[in-house]
Amino acid sequence: MPIALPVSLLSRLGIFFVILICAACSVPEAPSNRYHSDAEDSQLESGPVKELQNQAIAAINQQRFQQARDYLQRAIKIQPRNAWNWHYLAQTYWHEGQYDRCLAMLERSRSYTSSDDLLRVANDWLEPKCQG
Amino acid sequence: MLVLVVGLGVYLGYLNHLINSRFVGDTWALPSRVFARAAELYPGLPLSAEQLIYELELSSFLAVFAEPMPGQYRQLGESLELHTRPFDFGDQLQPAKTIQVFFERGRISAITDSRNGADLQLFRLPPVILGSYYPDNDEDRLLLSEAEVPQSLIDALIAVEDRGFYDHSGLSPMAIARAMMANIKAGKAVQGGSTLTQQLAKNLFLTPEKSLLRKFNEAFMALILELRFSKRAIITAYINEVFLLQQKRIAIHGFAQASRMLFKRSVDSLQPQQLALLVGMVKGPSRYNPFAAPQRALERRNLVLKIMYQQGLLTEDEYASAVEAALGIVKRLPGVNPFPAYLDLVKRQLQSSYSSDELAQRGLRVFTAFDPLLQRNLELGLARGLQGFNQPELQAAVVIADYLNGDIQALVGDRITDYPGFNRALMAQRPIGSLIKPLLLYGLLEENLTLASKIKDEPIRIQQSNGNVWEPGNYDRKLHGEMSLYQAFIHSYNLPFVQLGIGKGLESLADNLAKIKLLKHEVVYPSMLLGTTSMSAYEVSQMYQVIANNGYFTPLTTIRSVADQDNHTLARIPLESHKLFDQASMIQVQRAMIGVGEKGTARYLNQRFAGRTLAAKTGTTNELRDSWFAGFSQRLLAVVWLGRDDNSSINLTGSSGALRVWSEIMDLQGFESFKLSRDDNLAWRHINPEDGGISRESCTNSVLLPFPKDRIPTTRSRCQ
Repeated sequence: MPIALPVSLLSRLGIFFVILICAACSVPEAPSNRYHSDAEDSQLESGPVKELQNQAIAAINQQRFQQARDYLQRAIKIQPRNAWNWHYLAQTYWHEGQYDRCLAMLERSRSYTSSDDLLRVANDWLEPKCQG
Repeated sequence: MLVLVVGLGVYLGYLNHLINSRFVGDTWALPSRVFARAAELYPGLPLSAEQLIYELELSSFLAVFAEPMPGQYRQLGESLELHTRPFDFGDQLQPAKTIQVFFERGRISAITDSRNGADLQLFRLPPVILGSYYPDNDEDRLLLSEAEVPQSLIDALIAVEDRGFYDHSGLSPMAIARAMMANIKAGKAVQGGSTLTQQLAKNLFLTPEKSLLRKFNEAFMALILELRFSKRAIITAYINEVFLLQQKRIAIHGFAQASRMLFKRSVDSLQPQQLALLVGMVKGPSRYNPFAAPQRALERRNLVLKIMYQQGLLTEDEYASAVEAALGIVKRLPGVNPFPAYLDLVKRQLQSSYSSDELAQRGLRVFTAFDPLLQRNLELGLARGLQGFNQPELQAAVVIADYLNGDIQALVGDRITDYPGFNRALMAQRPIGSLIKPLLLYGLLEENLTLASKIKDEPIRIQQSNGNVWEPGNYDRKLHGEMSLYQAFIHSYNLPFVQLGIGKGLESLADNLAKIKLLKHEVVYPSMLLGTTSMSAYEVSQMYQVIANNGYFTPLTTIRSVADQDNHTLARIPLESHKLFDQASMIQVQRAMIGVGEKGTARYLNQRFAGRTLAAKTGTTNELRDSWFAGFSQRLLAVVWLGRDDNSSINLTGSSGALRVWSEIMDLQGFESFKLSRDDNLAWRHINPEDGGISRESCTNSVLLPFPKDRIPTTRSRCQ
């Protein structure tokens, strides 16, 4: 049985880690104009989504994957562009060996992760696992 | 003698078989309930107190001034305190809970647990029942288990209907004798001698005809019921079975559902006078109907209260205050299925797994994405919009979806939104006109064109395979010379798109329609480039879902999960997401659609919602028969169709018709501006849309557009 990524631990270290990485990374050509969001959803602090993600992580760690998905679908309804929601959803499918779904969710997560390096690392880690 | 005994045995065996068929196992056909989405309440959510009250009222919550009981709420200054009933969401059982919700400037500012004052980050509100699928007999009921039946109800019922219930064995010879005497005295039938068990036997197994044979059967069945089942089981069955109310074609059976409908209360929270009214109605549901005959119902209620008092079920004080109380019923009974179009779509989407009979009998619990607040705005916005056209024959269909997760949240299929007739949102297949152009544009952008590519708006003649010549024209019947692809798109000029499309454009359009399962013809013909393909508003919504969602296809659905009547989840609809189209190309299409609202055929949006961004497209068909509009904000996609059932002209374009309805709905709903996703493969440049050349921001008419990094325009335009 594969072991769940200790995401809760990574999340705690995340802020510090992201600051360090972002200080070094180059900024891609990303225009700032009125047609774009000022901040990506994945960077927003959101109490209810955080709470649902934590419950989902707890469910993943207890191998209750359907329950984890129930939490994550609720989180997605509140914040659909939060890339972590999709990443965790991909994790639930990986644990159950549903690799196509895992890849589909991972791809969606990646479409929202332009500035979250920690998540980029997490998604890179998950990709080979989604390939079975 | 032997023949007689055998005959009696066969007869009793037959009655016993009847009892087995109705009383053992699934006794009643239970309608399946369809639930709306469970609203997630959290600080920051845009929701006003008025909106929450609307949702609570739909959920049969009762406004009170005292501390709320389950199913009640009260206003405390700017906040609302509500006490929810226990609810099984299918994924979680939530106990009854009292919370206080605070509001500030149209948003929830805080939620606290009333028990301990603790702040809550999130609270899931039990969902509204948006409708039911009724069995063929049109009966509706909520079942109570033996443990759920309140003792006060049992006591009152027995006191009024059958005081010897615990002592007899199904028949009461004394009661029969008493009734006979009274009837002889009166010269007509004024009193019945039936026990509750006999009444149950009659209600469950027999026809209402008055004959000696029926009386005979009723008596024997009552005896068998008493022999085989406990008194508690019999009284519970009676309480679930008895007919109490008629709501249009639907017969309301059982105290639980009647209590919900008359008082918006669960049966265990009824006050004595409410309980007495229901018990009194047993004797004659029509005669003592509190809407049709309020005075008679009041007198009957007070008689029941008197009996309850005499039997020691009420104290003197309780009796005195109950007799003084008003009937206290709702102003009018809630409508039967007020959202027929949505319910119809749910049923169609369920039909691959459940037959109509199963839906009408198994008491399934269907959890959907329906948003009652959004539906209210849709209905109101549609009515306002239609008012402006003054065309009584004008019909409408509207679909509103969350394009990011595929939820269909609101839908109507008729201008009279609660009319359960032809569901145009699903069934009316109409040519979509220029609504096809975003997908056509996508194909062209994939074929190495850019939004700045120079194209010509000039006449074109196409020889078709059947020998006919097709000569399309622009809507304004003018020619506009050379321009950028962006310019042609936002003004929805036809000729440049046909010109570009007859090459690879048509082929890629067909391929792209096939990807989203909307290619309806095996033979691909050029007029498809101008949207002669017919679609329903629902299908158009699916096409625009994938456009709005950066090329990620998520099947539109109403259903999230299905549970049985014992709350065991039978099926879940997983969230799907398939990348079918290139994100960078789709972002360019979205940018062009923003232009439609800024300066194109939907520039009305720019006037009405100044400073806010929406992506949109208008659609008009030949002879102004159909008026279409599709548009999206940061979360919502809405598609509006207007037309007539006889397919005659409505004299409205997409811009003068459907766009106005769409705007009314979105104005009421409120929305967040649409923002394009960032994509590292795109570079942004100011161009002159007249000729597609690079321009400066300060130049008149200059527009900021995205380009693939390897296809950035190089020619310069003269600054105006």
